[in-house]
Amino acid sequence: MRQQKFRPEDAPTLSPEVKVDTPREATAEERLHIDRPSLTDWLDLRLGWYGFVRKNLDEPMPAGVGWWQTLGNLLMTLLIFQFVTGFALAMYYSPSPEAAHASVKHITYAVTLGSFIRGLHAWGSSIIVITVVLHTLRVFFWGSYKKPREVTWIIGVIIFQVVLGFSFTGYLLPWDQRAYWATVVGTRIAATVPLIGHGLLVFIRGGEEVGALTLTRFFSFHVMLLPATLLVFKFLHLYLVRRHHIAGPVEPAKGAPVPFYPNQLFKDAIVLLFGVGLLIFLAIGFPPALEAIANPTGTDFSPRPEWYFLGLYELLKIMPSGWEVVATVIIPTGITIGMFALPWLDRSKSRHPGKRQWVMMMGMFIILLIGLMTLKGILETPPEHKATQVAENTQFHPVETAALTE
Amino acid sequence: MTNDLSTNDSIEISRRKMMGLVVGVINLGLIGSIVGPMVGFATAPLTVKRKQRWVELMDESMIQPGEVKEVNYSMRVVDGYHEIEQKYTVYLRRGEEDVICIDPACTHLGCRVKFQSEQHRFVCPCHGGVFDDQGNNKSGPPPKPLERHPVKIEAGKIWISREV
Repeated sequence: MRQQKFRPEDAPTLSPEVKVDTPREATAEERLHIDRPSLTDWLDLRLGWYGFVRKNLDEPMPAGVGWWQTLGNLLMTLLIFQFVTGFALAMYYSPSPEAAHASVKHITYAVTLGSFIRGLHAWGSSIIVITVVLHTLRVFFWGSYKKPREVTWIIGVIIFQVVLGFSFTGYLLPWDQRAYWATVVGTRIAATVPLIGHGLLVFIRGGEEVGALTLTRFFSFHVMLLPATLLVFKFLHLYLVRRHHIAGPVEPAKGAPVPFYPNQLFKDAIVLLFGVGLLIFLAIGFPPALEAIANPTGTDFSPRPEWYFLGLYELLKIMPSGWEVVATVIIPTGITIGMFALPWLDRSKSRHPGKRQWVMMMGMFIILLIGLMTLKGILETPPEHKATQVAENTQFHPVETAALTE
Repeated sequence: MTNDLSTNDSIEISRRKMMGLVVGVINLGLIGSIVGPMVGFATAPLTVKRKQRWVELMDESMIQPGEVKEVNYSMRVVDGYHEIEQKYTVYLRRGEEDVICIDPACTHLGCRVKFQSEQHRFVCPCHGGVFDDQGNNKSGPPPKPLERHPVKIEAGKIWISREV
């Protein structure tokens, strides 16, 4: 083997303490890497593998960083789970009104582990929403969005929106009653946008009514556009997190920074164990239901959105006639713009919550509003249909196949 | 000598600028060549024209004055890439002299309203909107009356028309 001069940066150590400033004789272990290179040595020469690993595992964590900083890793892991289970489901799923419900039924009841894989995907979406909200709240309360991390925050807000987009588009895909009617109502919200509302509705639905083109559109967004968008912004987010490092506690804690590995990674692993464990428990213990196939007729079904959209759903109840645009457009858009602009709205130099009082008050008010509305929606059953009163009117369905004339 | 150098520099800079400009124009063209057709392709449903079509529902004698009936029917419609037998539901209300056809889609956010015969009203299960038995909005968030479809009675049969 050709002899080569040992370079200190090639040392495969992961320890930050070993710093070599001047060329020296290689140790016996280092000599081994040169004389009998392993696969990782081979990779290192071509990809800079050791540098990559060292940079990421030795990332300095400020003192005081701990369990709250595990949420990003949990979120990333759950998103990977979604990608894998989504890929698996797409092997059996067919996005057409004739086949969608049957294909999901087939996945759930006929395919080996189908109910489990679908359960992982369905419950995963809920746990992801909870995690992304907690992660965002942690950054908000810690004031970690301040200079120089403004763009990291903005990209995080975009990822938040993409996650909600995933939830909304994925909800329709089983094409059962719940999916269909939640989408009828959810897309109708677009029609309340002033001036362009109707055009927006038709664009989102692919027509005037929820139908075949709505399903293909939502499927296309769900498996193509949103994953690609998420991948790009996730990469940028991670890159910026590494570039600017993790923001420490609001008041610097005593103690020296510690490397990401093993301290923080250990905490991450524990949280992953519980997070993914909970996901598996829910997927097995509470497999997702599949209701009757979507039926545009009848007036007995009460549409309900997924629980994390219940806050908006309840807000719409208390808006007086003609003011629904406040709940459908103005409040959600205002909150989103506020989130994007937060690093500039919050002019305080300090990250301490006590020195960012109006931002904290505003944030707490919005969190409380969404929380209470969501709770109200969860606790409150929709106004009951009085079956006895409507029975006499629903018995008559004389024309199943009415004559068609121009 | 100094003058020659500065001249060369300015030539070099303008050449760089020119090449940069060409690269920029090509890139814009590339973006436009995919985004333009993409917008047209994705917004195609906005250009679809709908028209009114009549459908026979039932015998006139099957609904009495003052009565409200929920009626299911179907029509052949084009749903995107295929033609299907689309099912619909409407409410027929017979007055002393006329029959009106009320669409059950709540004018708030599209949930299906339910008729409560004792109270002679339609109630939306989603956000609690209330309409009278002619579909006029009475309370709750709905901003306008329920939509009505044109009705005609020919040879003892009730026909309605809807845009599909």
